[in-house]
Amino acid sequence: MIRGIVNKVAKTRERLFTVFFMFAVTLVFIAAVSALNLATADIVARNANLFMQRAVMEAADMDPSGSPEDVIARYEAAVREETFPDGSSYLCVTDPAIGANAYVFVRTGAGLWGQITAVVGVDETIKTLTGVTFVKHNETPGLGARIDEAWFKEQFEGKRGPLRCVPEGTRSASLNEFDGITGATITSRAVEKILNDTFAEARRKAAP
Amino acid sequence: MAAGRTKQIFLKNLGSDNPVFIQVLGICSTLAVTNVLKNTLVMCLGLVFVTALSNMSVSLLRKWIPSRVRMMVEVLIIASYVIIVDIVIQACLPDVSRQLGPYVGLIITNCIIMGRAEAFALSNPPLASLADGLAAGLGYSYVLLVIAFCRELLGSGTIWGIRVLGEWWVNWSIMVMAPGAFFMLAVFIWIVKGYLIPRDGPAKECCQ
Repeated sequence: MIRGIVNKVAKTRERLFTVFFMFAVTLVFIAAVSALNLATADIVARNANLFMQRAVMEAADMDPSGSPEDVIARYEAAVREETFPDGSSYLCVTDPAIGANAYVFVRTGAGLWGQITAVVGVDETIKTLTGVTFVKHNETPGLGARIDEAWFKEQFEGKRGPLRCVPEGTRSASLNEFDGITGATITSRAVEKILNDTFAEARRKAAP
Repeated sequence: MAAGRTKQIFLKNLGSDNPVFIQVLGICSTLAVTNVLKNTLVMCLGLVFVTALSNMSVSLLRKWIPSRVRMMVEVLIIASYVIIVDIVIQACLPDVSRQLGPYVGLIITNCIIMGRAEAFALSNPPLASLADGLAAGLGYSYVLLVIAFCRELLGSGTIWGIRVLGEWWVNWSIMVMAPGAFFMLAVFIWIVKGYLIPRDGPAKECCQ
């Protein structure tokens, strides 16, 4: 009888120790991780912002390079957020170097594996693209993910909508054709659709 | 800790008991992150850090960890270190973090780390465990770096983002995709097992 009680007490103690131990270890590690997270939260947020600001500047045909402070200062001087009457927003970028306005749209469309978020810049007349860049996508590495390559993004500058995708390597001089990516037809078409939709939206909503 | 023991630990992990080509562990990340050398290096540094420190932490706590919750404790420790790595990469290398995407977080599920914690850290002193974690991480890293070197060279014609093969080179798209890693890994294992490790050595049991 006494032995039974002793056993029971020992067992309970062991169980309590397990719970206590788990709790203590969790507390220590979570505290460490949380502290680090709090300490770096500002830097991480700033990095994310900076990435977006560089993308907008690239789309508006401004120079996105330079130190973070420089980029932030130039961005804040040039860009202001505007909204259409229906509530959707766009960015108006006034490049001090040229003095002209560009309108930048952050728009999302369906890609092959997930959504593609593009930053699309059009000029004041809403006829010509000033630049295109992609900030988020899950396309196949080596195929669809090549939309991040410089030649692909740069070819859009000066093109006019509605755009049509032609085979890679065509290097079409036509103002409404762009080179797609071999092996990534769906991604190329998705880009085509995002750009044309953005053009249509800009024209429709900005029409006087 | 004797120097001979450390040497033995390192030799085993780098060669005769290598986590990748002998134990065939960590294949998921081998396939996922080895298409570009730079990303691979960051991933490897992260993994070395996590294996070394989690091994040491588990070893420090090994006398108190109740055996029925030991896996919970191990996962908690590993996860904490992985989150630390993830936060640091996000704060310091935002571009790499964007490209690696979810794979840094997936270090948690890398069997090498848990495997070393279970097989080594639970029954060895902290310093030996630190050495073992470090060695296992390095054994994984050099295999990945070799594979990444070949894949980046053949798949993109570049090394560390710098073009080394001329314009005449046609990129092997498959090398940038996951199947390319399968081929490279298979060739690597073939060469190592077929030519470098003596055939009449002690039979190795291969475990998943």
